[in-house]
Amino acid sequence: MVGIFGDLNTQYVISTAIVSLYVSTAAVGLSTLASLPIALAIGFSDFRGKNAVTTVINTGMGFPSVVVGLVVLLFLSNAGPFGSLGLLFTPKAMIISQFVLATPVIMSVSLSAVEGVDQRIRDAAFAAGGTSRDVGLVVVKEARYGIVTAILAGYGRAISEVGSVLVVGGNIAFADGTAFTRTLTTAVTLEARQGRYEVGIALGAVLLVLVLGVNAIGSWARRRGGGT
Amino acid sequence: MILAAENVAYSYDGEGVIEGVSLEVDPGEVLAIVGPSGTGKTTLLRVLALFDPPEEGTVLADGEDVWARSEERRLPIRRRIGMVFQDRSLFSTSAARNAAYGLFVRRSWDERLRSSLAAFLGRDGSPDGAYDALETVGLAEKADQHAGSLSAGEAQRVAFARALATEPDILLLDEFTSNLDPRNTAVLETAIDRARDRGIGVAMATHDMQQARRIADRTAVLLDGTCIECGRTERVFENPRDERARKFIAGELVY
Ligand SMILES: Nc1ncnc2c1ncn2[C@@H]1O[C@H](COP(=O)(O)OP(=O)(O)OP(=O)(O)O)[C@@H](O)[C@H]1O
Ligand SMILES: [Mg+2]
Repeated sequence: MVGIFGDLNTQYVISTAIVSLYVSTAAVGLSTLASLPIALAIGFSDFRGKNAVTTVINTGMGFPSVVVGLVVLLFLSNAGPFGSLGLLFTPKAMIISQFVLATPVIMSVSLSAVEGVDQRIRDAAFAAGGTSRDVGLVVVKEARYGIVTAILAGYGRAISEVGSVLVVGGNIAFADGTAFTRTLTTAVTLEARQGRYEVGIALGAVLLVLVLGVNAIGSWARRRGGGT
Repeated sequence: MILAAENVAYSYDGEGVIEGVSLEVDPGEVLAIVGPSGTGKTTLLRVLALFDPPEEGTVLADGEDVWARSEERRLPIRRRIGMVFQDRSLFSTSAARNAAYGLFVRRSWDERLRSSLAAFLGRDGSPDGAYDALETVGLAEKADQHAGSLSAGEAQRVAFARALATEPDILLLDEFTSNLDPRNTAVLETAIDRARDRGIGVAMATHDMQQARRIADRTAVLLDGTCIECGRTERVFENPRDERARKFIAGELVY
């Protein structure tokens, strides 16, 4: 099939982009659901070892993605504790490893956003008859710029990493060229290694456009979310 | 509702701030709390607003110990109390949505979701009560303005509207006219007069002795975290029993 990318297989490009989008969106979505409540809980409370916890989260932002991939591989391999689930070399395995990669980023950036919300705002919500859940929601809304930034940063980390998806996904494509666990990043790696630089550059351009699109949606959401 | 503090003590990080304070906010009455800066007026109002339990003593709502209740059962009592803070305390959204917040949290999750969605799509879903309250403080035309761009005095009036909109039984005011010009001070004082006529009990911390004389039925003088004088406003101002209270009112107290 010859399409818009010259002699590049359009189906190949589109299916690869879809795998990338699907895996990263699922990973970042799940990670946001898990990270936000934890960031709120940490941000609201004062406990011994809070600094240590924050340091660990911040360190997690710099975890090398291949190492994360390796650890997830050990867990999911036949000999590992979750081997019986048969997740290795499937998109689900990639979602898990990107979840692990994105979570420290989303948690750390949203934690600092939550902690930046003035205590007086929380007091005002409480005094107006808010429950602790209402107060939490107000804080999320006040910190919305920071939280959107956190999600975008997590998304950027997830969709652009190669290491872990390569290790746990295996860069598999079907015989007809449709991607199964092949993402834009792993595809670029493969094309470059095989000397097909134009194809690699085309795939890289698609990746850039996707990241740009996600950020555009993010800044739109930032402009719109004005309610309390 | 009658809100009362009985022998309450409160401290921050072991540093005692108020001690042995007893006072009562009665329906249809305005109580002024005066005293030097740092004496614990805000702290006392926060105890009355049920932020934290007092370390000693009790807070009573219609004679019942509020802190003996579970958090869930304390909520209905909290929701009959409105508070206006000393500093800027508005949410970063429009004046109308700020004024509506107390009404918003009292609605069902279903209604709240719909109103949030309307706001996200650029339509305003603020309930009427919020506009009435803004009208009362003379800010109806600023309803759509973002709180961040309001002047200090306007922000203070929106915060007042936010407390008023829920029609509380008790109104706790912390220096609620500190940023206002005489005209707007008069507007809010009139609003307090009307609230009193509707049977609302008001407790207000103020640095303005003339204001206490103008609108308070009773006045409590707080010094170093204890109530050294409490009684009918005229009596406290004209014939204070405590020598330090007399000096404070006369502006002679050195501290
Ligand atoms: N969160 C806090 N942590 C520690 N100390 C506090 C805190 N809030 C208040 N204090 C201290 O408690 C004392 C009483 O403060 P409070 O705000 O109740 O005084 P106030 O009478 O309202 O003063 P002002 O008239 O200046 O508003 C002050 O000495 C203050 O420094
Ligand atoms: Mg104060």
